[in-house]
Amino acid sequence: MTLHDKPIRVLIAKTSLDGHWRGVAIVSVALRDAGMEVVYGGQLTADEIAAAAIQEGVHVVGLNIGGHYGTVEKIMQTLHSSGLGDVLVVAGGNIPPEDIPALKQLGIAEVFPPGSETDAIVRFIRDKLGRKL
Amino acid sequence: MTQEQNQQYKTLSGIPVKKQYTPEDIEGLQYERDLGSPGEPPYTRGPYRNMYRDRLWRIFELSGTGTPEDLRERLLYLLKHGETGIIMEVDQFTSYHLFDPDHPDVLARKDDVGLTGPTLVSLKDYETVFEGIPQDKIYAHPGGGCIQFSPFAHACYWSLAEKRGIPLDKLRGTGQSDYFLSYLGCPLEDQIPPGPGLRLNCDLIEFCTEHLPHWVPVSIAGYNAGETGLNAYQEMAAVMANATAYIDEMLRRGRFGIDDFAHGIGGVNYASGRDFFEDICKMRAARRMWYRLLTERYGAKDPHSFIHRIHGLTTGSWMTYQQPLNNIIRGALYALSGALGGVQSIGVSSYDEGRCTPSEAAQLVAVRTQQILQHESGITSVADPLAGSYYVEWLTNELERRAWDYLETIEKQGGFIQALDSGWLHREAMRGMLEREKGVKSGEIKVVGVNCLQLDEEPHEVAPFRANPRTWEIAMEKLERLRKERDSVAVEEALAELRDVCQSEKNVMPAMMKAVRAYATIGEVGDVFREVFTIWKTPLPL
Repeated sequence: MTLHDKPIRVLIAKTSLDGHWRGVAIVSVALRDAGMEVVYGGQLTADEIAAAAIQEGVHVVGLNIGGHYGTVEKIMQTLHSSGLGDVLVVAGGNIPPEDIPALKQLGIAEVFPPGSETDAIVRFIRDKLGRKL
Repeated sequence: MTQEQNQQYKTLSGIPVKKQYTPEDIEGLQYERDLGSPGEPPYTRGPYRNMYRDRLWRIFELSGTGTPEDLRERLLYLLKHGETGIIMEVDQFTSYHLFDPDHPDVLARKDDVGLTGPTLVSLKDYETVFEGIPQDKIYAHPGGGCIQFSPFAHACYWSLAEKRGIPLDKLRGTGQSDYFLSYLGCPLEDQIPPGPGLRLNCDLIEFCTEHLPHWVPVSIAGYNAGETGLNAYQEMAAVMANATAYIDEMLRRGRFGIDDFAHGIGGVNYASGRDFFEDICKMRAARRMWYRLLTERYGAKDPHSFIHRIHGLTTGSWMTYQQPLNNIIRGALYALSGALGGVQSIGVSSYDEGRCTPSEAAQLVAVRTQQILQHESGITSVADPLAGSYYVEWLTNELERRAWDYLETIEKQGGFIQALDSGWLHREAMRGMLEREKGVKSGEIKVVGVNCLQLDEEPHEVAPFRANPRTWEIAMEKLERLRKERDSVAVEEALAELRDVCQSEKNVMPAMMKAVRAYATIGEVGDVFREVFTIWKTPLPL
């Protein structure tokens, strides 16, 4: 890491009002252990996610989602209209394999369902951002 | 080093285990003192004399999504196929949060409403659910999973029974009102703090002591503590610590003695999970620990006070996303573990758990799993069949010993409420979560299909269940109709009375029942709670 490389900054948010936090805890810790700066936003609406992403100057938004995707669609639209179309968005949660293509269509770069290796998430983020660390 | 010397063998909670156990390992064990017969102190071997010969464990499945009609359909389906008690899940967005469907936080996520449970917003919804379901003939958990929703849920279920001419003292069922659910494992945004939660739960306990002798008002869900990172003996200790908070508060109130109300707290749940023997021993150790806690610390004299009854819920978190049909095996093994541990009811998690809320097909398999165990395996003929096993008795002792130690640790934090409020319990849970993740990552904890025996392509098609996508729309229609049809003056009066009662030390349940009978909504009740009790920020270590 050169002097000019700031750590990768990640906003993690839950898109629903389902408060289970094991997934976001594991991922947050794994990303921090890999040298990233993680801001856990909690349960946020589309507007709140966009505002937090801007305020925190994040490179990545990690969404914990489950279920119907109207909410996710709203989030992706809001990110786009807030000028955050370049932010890398990844997602995890109880997402059936059938739904993954549709989520990618919405602009989510990769979906990490339960059982995904956290190393794979770290590698994916670094690769996509063209970063070694 | 040989492979044996290299590898550490331990239970899931980290207790080192030897390759075999012998009489030496249980030297000093005294049958009468440490085991007793089933139905006799210290109840290690089971709460009832004849165990499953008299009474098979209840087939008790958590269920429900979508609209009240959708819930009713699922309940009827499960009852038709042989479940012997209903557990109503409820929608997280509306019901659990005490938000009406038009609350801004719900509107922002309206597509997800009904996904995790049915929207139950008023007594009208309960009327819809229970149409044609005789409340005096079933054993019911009417949706009071989380503390702040529980008074409303109970008020609806009980008011409906009264409306139908069923006296409250005939009703059989259980609350849950569980701290580990919405304060630890699945935190609710803007929920009332733990202290007011204690008040509400003790109001429920008092109300049941007076009016509902066959109702378990609160059921501490060790399962949720276990699923949030606590291990087997920590889970036991957390349940005991929670119980002491209820008992101490009830005794402080001074209206009832220990033997008046303790039976209402002694029905709990524990996780039945992947460590087959550890969870069998956990149930046995928990019964003995409960007996000792109630008699030694609290001087309880009535057996109903110190007999621990257990609902064994198979752990959902170990159900894999990958190769979901493997989860049928897991469900069967975990249920067998619970049955050999002598539990009074079992809920088997569905094979599609990792991917979606359970489908009908998966819930049918869950029910059949239990029925096959009950009717085909022969295990119901003999109570506590593993008693006397050197390993089982040693592990039961060891779990109890560690659980008492951990109970002391919790109490050193200033007691259960303080341990929760301060975030200490969350940090403990997080530590457990990370340890488990480390174990899975290193391969020390093998998970078939996830870190071993993986497949690039899924071998079976498992269609994901989709909850009713019109749930929110329908809930809004019902809400608008309700607001037009009800007597708004009566609602205002009832809510004002509820507010007064909440601000006082009076029991909240009578006013709650009056409010639900006037068709107050969950959001209106929630506004009163939030105003009077304020809101709590979950001390998540993130």
